[in-house]
Amino acid sequence: MTAFVARRFLFAVALVFVVSSAALLLTRLAPADVTAELALLAPAEEIARTRARFDLDRRPLEQWGIWLGRAGRFDFGDSYLYNRPVRGLVLDAAANTAVLAVVALAAATAFGIPLGMLAGSRGGLAAAAIRSVSLVCLSLPPLLTSLLLVYVAATTRWFPVGGMTSVGALDARWSTWLADVAAHLPLPALALALPIAATFERLQAQSMTEALHQPFVAAAAARGVAPSDIVVRHAWRVSLRPICGVYGIAIGTLLSGSFVVEFVTAWPGLGRLMYEALRARDIYLVAGCAAMGGLVLAAGMMIGDLLLAAADPRVRERGA
Amino acid sequence: MRLSRLGLILAGAGVLAAAVVVLRFGSSEAPAPPEARRGGQIVASLRSEPRSFNRLVSRDYATEILSLLTQGRLVRINRATFELEPWLAEAWESSVDGRTHTLHLRPDLTWSDGTPFTSADVLFSLQAVFDPRAKSVLASTLTVAGQPITGTAPDAQTVVLNYAGPSGPGVRLLDNLPILPKHKLEAALADGSFASAWTNTTPPSEIVGMGPFVLREYQPGQRVVLDRNPRYWRRARDGGALPYLDRIILDIVPEQNAELLRLQAGDLDLTSSELRPEDYVSVRDAEDQGRLRLIELGVGTDADAFWFCLKPEVKGRDPRFKYVQRPEFRKAISQAVDRQAFADRVFLGAAVPVWGPITPGNIHWFWPDVTRYPHDDRQAQAWLGSMDVHPRRVDGVAADAANVEMRFTVLTQRGISWYERGTAVLREELAKIGIVLDVVPLEVGALIQRLLACDYDAIYYRPIATDLDPAGNMDFWLSSGSAHFWNIGQKTPATDWERRIDTLMFEQAAALDPERRRQQFNLVQQIFAENLPVLYFAAPRLYYAHSMRLRGVVPSVQRPPVLWNADSLSVVN
Repeated sequence: MTAFVARRFLFAVALVFVVSSAALLLTRLAPADVTAELALLAPAEEIARTRARFDLDRRPLEQWGIWLGRAGRFDFGDSYLYNRPVRGLVLDAAANTAVLAVVALAAATAFGIPLGMLAGSRGGLAAAAIRSVSLVCLSLPPLLTSLLLVYVAATTRWFPVGGMTSVGALDARWSTWLADVAAHLPLPALALALPIAATFERLQAQSMTEALHQPFVAAAAARGVAPSDIVVRHAWRVSLRPICGVYGIAIGTLLSGSFVVEFVTAWPGLGRLMYEALRARDIYLVAGCAAMGGLVLAAGMMIGDLLLAAADPRVRERGA
Repeated sequence: MRLSRLGLILAGAGVLAAAVVVLRFGSSEAPAPPEARRGGQIVASLRSEPRSFNRLVSRDYATEILSLLTQGRLVRINRATFELEPWLAEAWESSVDGRTHTLHLRPDLTWSDGTPFTSADVLFSLQAVFDPRAKSVLASTLTVAGQPITGTAPDAQTVVLNYAGPSGPGVRLLDNLPILPKHKLEAALADGSFASAWTNTTPPSEIVGMGPFVLREYQPGQRVVLDRNPRYWRRARDGGALPYLDRIILDIVPEQNAELLRLQAGDLDLTSSELRPEDYVSVRDAEDQGRLRLIELGVGTDADAFWFCLKPEVKGRDPRFKYVQRPEFRKAISQAVDRQAFADRVFLGAAVPVWGPITPGNIHWFWPDVTRYPHDDRQAQAWLGSMDVHPRRVDGVAADAANVEMRFTVLTQRGISWYERGTAVLREELAKIGIVLDVVPLEVGALIQRLLACDYDAIYYRPIATDLDPAGNMDFWLSSGSAHFWNIGQKTPATDWERRIDTLMFEQAAALDPERRRQQFNLVQQIFAENLPVLYFAAPRLYYAHSMRLRGVVPSVQRPPVLWNADSLSVVN
């Protein structure tokens, strides 16, 4: 197990290094930089000063080297857009995204897996309906889902239209503040969770159907085990393997999905920060967000592997 | 004794006779909006975060709005009438040569923390703008004849400002200068840390101002909260204290569709900018249902522009350049476009045809008699024919005798619906005279990079004028200017007509007589229209929506359309 964790840790470090370095270099090599929009408004000295502040007056590899040296000391440079250090910005935003992602993942799991079990173990109208809804959820791009949900919230007033807290919670006690955050969660969490829940449902349904055709299921039925017990106690556990396999990827999907969802629903998270940084070519903020994204993805894959090991004894025996 | 008294009288009369040209007094009382109620709060939106709480070092829109709400100026340009109004200075006099301006500050004003406001604060603000270590982004806007504005303070209520040369805008320049508290920022300026003072991480209690509101809280990524400044100096006509509102909340909503939905849902009272043409119908429906109020701000002061790169050193070898550089070619394009149809299709009817960069929205400088080129395809083809360029029989594409095709790539900004429609209409209209346009949408940064490098055939884009007064927009007009888009930063004027414009613009910027300035600028517009380096087709009519409960709205075509007058806004239940 120690070797497994050590391998995963090294993988995480490598992933963060590669992803953030690639993000920095690609942002640098892409057309235009952070001063592009300033160019029509500001005098040449101001533009030169801004370029120097973000090391854009140096060659790309030189800038990368400088950034790496600083990043080794956990100094990821300054953001142009926010005019302050990237580290604090990314940590704050990542915490907000973590809240959203945990709720979205929990919702996707809570809805996707039971519905997949149902659709995979039974035929008929219910299974067809679940499959159809899943396909719709998978087909809808997150931008459209978010805008639809914002529209629903705006017309029905069932939950707040956007943001993370209300103005009313400004002077509130922490418990009121917490309740306020919880009230703001359904909209972005649903927008994020729907496609993932649909993915889980489809995988679970397919896997469950396959598991129910295994000889051990027939043996259990022959022993007189109740059909519901066969599904829940025997087939489900076996069918979980593909779900655990994609769990880590689902966390990565949450992060990429949050780009648009957080932007539309004004959730102050990592996805929105990255989106704004990319649009403004805010080079160090892009690299910082990418580093944090890589870290989250690595953590997600590790969680997925641990879940897989817990669900399947054969994986444990092979040392994952 | 008698001689001395006479001497004093004579000296006083002499000073008055020699120096006083203009004397302005103003009470700056705000008319009470009908049904004005004190108290309450409004929620407005911002698309992006403020980069700083110090307007002197940051030019982003959010910082500018915060500066308008929290800081005072010596004078204010009314954004609805474009007239100059007394503000922290209640009166001023200007010398005959336009180089000296004596401003009298309102008495007994205090900063939001209770410290008295004096002329030392004004001098400090000027000093901060021009301190090289402060790296102020406002320095260029407060420079006259290449030199900083300097000042002295004969007493605590008087400031004498000296301009290095005569300036047409005169005291109007001071609308750009937020007055900052010396007692709070003096140490930072002295130790060279002014540029990093009052960042967006500074505790709000440290931010002191003379504006109608004070910063209460900034929640990054979420909102900025501003509370009423209880020491604000301005009074309503009924003598009551301003502002009416207790609080303004600026919610950060980066996405414009979501912003509109939040406005329609009642979560917002105001949005950060005008409506897009495609939003008009849904907002009008909301107005019909009594949920929103739709107002017309007027004709926008900026219009979409279409131009070719005319830099000979970059484009000289391009065989198409010998045509593009000729005014006849650009006149052909101008006459090939039906401007009314363009306005109807691109802006869904909410636009007016225009023939130059100054639109009817810029009421002081718009000249309706500038040369126009009415839609006439035959005349357009005649212009091309005068250069021996004719449509080919096989495909109708215009080409010269050497078969050089009039085919151009047009760059525009990606994701802006009216740019997409505008380039599509242009493509159709120009195809009728054989000019082929291939449209390539780009991200704004890439577009501007190509613009600066003259790495393009043509561009369709809406450059924003830095000032409505032409003297504040020299970068566009002067051949050496950084916003002289078609041929940026020329060492010497590339053409004779650009040289004439340069001369006229320098003269009008230094002229003190408003009528003479207007005549000279009309001449500039006429030369521009005769040569058409940039083509304009339609200026949008701007519409804005706000909640039904808002009162005291005085709309402006300039941004921010409503919050510029925040001290007079109020709400009803």
